Amino acid sequence: MKKNLITIIIAAVLVVIFALLLFTFQVRQSEVAVLTTFGKPGDKNIDRPSLYFKWPWPIQKVYRFDERVQNFEDKYSENYLADGSIVVSSVYVGWRISDAKEFFPKFTDGSVSAAQLQLEAMLRSAKAAVIGNHNLSDFVNVDSSKLKLEQIEDEIKTTVQKELAAQNYGMSIEFLGIKKLGLPESVTQTVFDRMKSERQKYISEAQYQGEAEATKIKSAAERQAADITANAQAAATRIQGEGVAEAAKTLTTFQENPELAVFQLQLEALKNSLNQKSTLIFDERTPPFSLFQNLPTNAPAK
Amino acid sequence: MQDAGSQALSEALRSSFVIVKIAMVGLIFAILGAGFFTVGPQEKAVVLRFGKPIGEGQKMLLGAGLHWSLPYPVDEVVRIPIAEIQKVTSTIGWYATTPEMELAGTEPPPGPSLNPMIDGYVITADRNIIHARTTVSYHIDDPRTAIFNFTSGTNHGFNIGGVSNAVLNAANNALILTAARFNVDDILTRNFAGFQDAIQQRVDQLVEQEHLGVSIDQCQVECIPPRQLKDIFAQVITARQNYDKLINDAQSKTNQILNEASAQATSITNAAESTRIRFVTGVESDAEAFTKLLPRYKADPRLFAQMELAKAMTRILTNVQEKMFLPERADGKPRELRLLLNREPPGQKSGANP
Repeated sequence: MKKNLITIIIAAVLVVIFALLLFTFQVRQSEVAVLTTFGKPGDKNIDRPSLYFKWPWPIQKVYRFDERVQNFEDKYSENYLADGSIVVSSVYVGWRISDAKEFFPKFTDGSVSAAQLQLEAMLRSAKAAVIGNHNLSDFVNVDSSKLKLEQIEDEIKTTVQKELAAQNYGMSIEFLGIKKLGLPESVTQTVFDRMKSERQKYISEAQYQGEAEATKIKSAAERQAADITANAQAAATRIQGEGVAEAAKTLTTFQENPELAVFQLQLEALKNSLNQKSTLIFDERTPPFSLFQNLPTNAPAK
Repeated sequence: MQDAGSQALSEALRSSFVIVKIAMVGLIFAILGAGFFTVGPQEKAVVLRFGKPIGEGQKMLLGAGLHWSLPYPVDEVVRIPIAEIQKVTSTIGWYATTPEMELAGTEPPPGPSLNPMIDGYVITADRNIIHARTTVSYHIDDPRTAIFNFTSGTNHGFNIGGVSNAVLNAANNALILTAARFNVDDILTRNFAGFQDAIQQRVDQLVEQEHLGVSIDQCQVECIPPRQLKDIFAQVITARQNYDKLINDAQSKTNQILNEASAQATSITNAAESTRIRFVTGVESDAEAFTKLLPRYKADPRLFAQMELAKAMTRILTNVQEKMFLPERADGKPRELRLLLNREPPGQKSGANP
């Protein structure tokens, strides 16, 4: 009896598990499920995480989708701009399945890769349309107020969103941005040439401007130095003048007796002029040699 | 005989059942025991029961410590790294190279131009081309958003791959859009800090707009001119450094010139000042002497004059180099004196006609 009880319990457990597998399905967090009845998709998006009841296949079948935002990038490809130039670009898209029951029938078994192919095609045409409406100056510009990159991103996004809504794919674009931007190889060659000549211009500028500036600075300095010196000379003259003016007061003393003053000056002059390297020739009449007059000397024999 | 056989069989079955029972009990314990898990200090965990997170809001997140859950497929533990710094490096904008070459410090040879399919670059506001890349460091701020809103593929798994992709593309986008607003010289030298900041601002903006649930810690940016033009870009830097040097030299020369002029000016005025003082003092002492002599002069001018002259002669005669005394000729006739001018320096006698 005990044997049978255990067997029955095990069998019961197995049956329960089997029944669960057949008659229930689990929807996990971030998943959304669509139930098909005899192949026809149901009219509900089952996205609340829980355990649900279903009839077993082939009556009903469950298709599960990840309803989170996915990253998709389109091919790096060329497009013509309005001004005739070519730009190579790639955009990234954050998209999600917003309406699984609409999404599921549009692509075989609700295949996400099929959806991505469709998205790729839509992005390609949206990019061509939007980029064709803009110029290169909207992509790069020294005046950043003239840049329209974010606007271009918005325009592409809106175009794709409209297309998705029109086709009712059950997909939505959460965000879209430029991932990569470039120019055709031949154009980069031209850009390089221009960059080289621009750099060359800067080199020459630096050389010439450097020398000119340096010269200017030095001559300004020399001018200033000359001013300083001239001012000093003027000051010196002024000081001299002050000295003379000051001395003039004292000179009035000499006016009391100009003859004596003159005599003193002459005496000074005499002393100063005969200070060095002078030769004096006297005769007996000059004092103090006048003392020699009528003195016995070596007179020649008569 | 049958009894013994069936008895033996039932014995065997009974004992094997016991083993099976023990094994089953052990298995149950093992399964339940495997439900224990730890959450590290830099993680949060969410337990999904039948796919639905246990708990609401913040309570959903289990912090560090020991926890228990039922076994898969009833329960599933999702671990989310919090506060742990994640890093992504931009995938556009740099020339083609491999991680091995980067480590070795080598690079593939540059071609004549850039093939957009192979080499990455960004275009600057003044239509120059440069290579730029950034490494963005971020951490997860809102774990539920980061894990449950973004996926990296179709495997329905829970990891940070989805959010990581979004941050990566935000970094790529930031490089392109920011470079389009800055001039090449500002990016490479003059305002690199501003460029780096602007890139982080754009990444922050995108992270905000896209509701990624992460927080950007830092954007490290690296920029170089195209390798094909490396030399000429370096030459510009050298030329500008030379310019700076010329200006600096000129300015220090200026200082030197002005200092010299200033010193000279001072010495001119000082010399004038001392001349003035000497002159005034000289005149004053002359006046003083004059005043002292005046009474004597007034008393007897001729005597005074002669005395002064005699005194002066004494001094003069000691200073004079050559003195020649020519007495009168005895016969009273005038002498003729011939002087040889431009004589040799002192030491030689002249000839004078007797």
